[in-house]
Amino acid sequence: MIKSVFGLLALFLGALWMSAATAEVILSDNEIALTLSHGPWPPAFVADPSNRVSGLPAAIKLGKGLFFNPVLSRDGSMSCSDCHDPSHGFADPKARSVGKVILDRNALSLTNVRGHRWFGWAGGNDNLWAQSLVPILNPDEMNHDDESLKTAIAKSTWIQDYEALFGPLSEQAATDVSVNIAKSLAAYQETLETGPTSFDRFRNAMERGDIAAAAHYPLAAQRGLQIFLGRGNCAFCHSGPAFTNREFHDAGVPYFINQTRVDTGRYGGLEALFASPFTLAGSYSDDREKSGAWAVRQVQPLHSDFGTFRVPSLRGTARTAPYMHNGSLADLQAVVDHYNTIDLERLHTDGEAILTPLALSKRESSDLLKFLRTLSDDEG
Amino acid sequence: MIRSLVATTLIFAGSFAYAQDLPIFDAHMHYSHDAVLQIPPDQIVKILRDAGIKKALVSSSDDDGTQKLKAAAPDIIVPALRPYRQRGETGTWMHDPAIIDYLEERLAKFNYEAIGEFHAFGDDIKTDVVQRMIALARERNLLLHHHGDRQALDLIFASWPEARVLWAHSGFDRPDEVAEALETYPRLWADLAYRSDMSNAQGLAPDWRKTFAAYPDRFMVGTDTFAPERWYYVGPHADYTRRWLSDLPAGIARKIAYENAETMLMTQ
Repeated sequence: MIKSVFGLLALFLGALWMSAATAEVILSDNEIALTLSHGPWPPAFVADPSNRVSGLPAAIKLGKGLFFNPVLSRDGSMSCSDCHDPSHGFADPKARSVGKVILDRNALSLTNVRGHRWFGWAGGNDNLWAQSLVPILNPDEMNHDDESLKTAIAKSTWIQDYEALFGPLSEQAATDVSVNIAKSLAAYQETLETGPTSFDRFRNAMERGDIAAAAHYPLAAQRGLQIFLGRGNCAFCHSGPAFTNREFHDAGVPYFINQTRVDTGRYGGLEALFASPFTLAGSYSDDREKSGAWAVRQVQPLHSDFGTFRVPSLRGTARTAPYMHNGSLADLQAVVDHYNTIDLERLHTDGEAILTPLALSKRESSDLLKFLRTLSDDEG
Repeated sequence: MIRSLVATTLIFAGSFAYAQDLPIFDAHMHYSHDAVLQIPPDQIVKILRDAGIKKALVSSSDDDGTQKLKAAAPDIIVPALRPYRQRGETGTWMHDPAIIDYLEERLAKFNYEAIGEFHAFGDDIKTDVVQRMIALARERNLLLHHHGDRQALDLIFASWPEARVLWAHSGFDRPDEVAEALETYPRLWADLAYRSDMSNAQGLAPDWRKTFAAYPDRFMVGTDTFAPERWYYVGPHADYTRRWLSDLPAGIARKIAYENAETMLMTQ
């Protein structure tokens, strides 16, 4: 028995020595510089100036309670967490989420949402609290209106928490109540953040110049990162610490909903945005400076908006299958396969010029997947 | 701010009342193989009629889609022959001699008003395939619907000075550059498909307004249904078109919406 243990130990130490001897950083100086742009992570918390309860513990507590409670659905049948499943990265494992009916899109992950400029697949809102109202008031989802929501909160066990935070409910207009609830939900969602991963440890080690520590990052992931930064051009859209440029693109994914209906994507998102009273430029924002309103004031509709969708963050992405706006790609392998063989016929010749079939070999695809998974190996 | 929001909202809200009946000749449409599989011709025709599209210059990859639409709505569809059997050939067709066989076969079988939309940039025009295609158009006095740069445009007119050319997306050039091309070539017309720069929240862009006033007989509009789903953008695009055209004198708006395309096709 003792002999056997010593044998195993020797084997382990031998493997460790071999690993240390072969470990290296294979990135070029330019690739290292590009890698550094994907951090640091996580970003420091900055309260949302449009939401006066952003960052307040009492608001986070109320928002969390409401998020998991069916009081936000008119018939008490569903809560936010039914589609934004905490065990699934706060995304929906169903391809198309289900409310009162099968909805048009896959519910996006709610992790890392506080850094966004636009919200939802189509960017129909420019702030998190306004986006949080959408499913509550959508007849196909939670089906409340302002009055029914106010009544439901008044009768719920959350009324004391609500009034402690926002004052007497009875003195508030129903729409104000809806917005307050949404702001508490936003305060909670701002806390849903993925943690540092092995990629971040690699990136931070390189920033420190600690190549020995960086070399612990698997070679296969490094090769995948090279594809991501270089030949794959993935980082063109999946840029920055959150791995998203926060804008809208045509990734060559069909957007028919059925034979006579299509998902208009960003086009419809802008329609909703311009019609919304809840933008950062509007009176429901608590930010007197309207500091984030420049985006809604300046954004211009384009013909190319039709059928484009927001670039999702890749942090935590291994936990949030399926992928794309309609959940049409079952797993990360399917996503890589999609870009490997992307149908250029779907794209305008003067549109998404960076997209071209990647034509990765089996090993290259595997390397890219290994890199992507290192964006999700935090504690979750 | 409020003014800006209201103006932007009008892009979506549809046309002004007086412009609602403005007929549109959509000079840039495709009904390609994948669209044929997903949207039946009758549905396409309904989309066109609902949007107030009175005529449509349609080219498809392959041509079968155009013929199906023509059969379904001969009063609307103006057929053009595209030198592609699949849309994916946009960058390779000029090097494929089999394209000529395809064009000759279709030209022998069906009637067309144009050849195009074809993609060709720079010296692409000098290839044997493109030169033969231009010759086929010349033999039949067909319009050329060209997607490409100014250099290619110059080479087309060098190859056939009397050609009638519709410049797709007006080459994505600036208004002053488009104006210069129109000045240089009296038999050049310009489509505005897939361009969003004519109008913004403040209204019609001044440089475009000036160009439309200088060349009121030469511009036309188009949706560019390059993917099947974009057929469902025809209606919103028509509304958008009527909205920005309403910012022009009514006579110029009518020309750009419909009359210029009619005139272009009747020009000998």
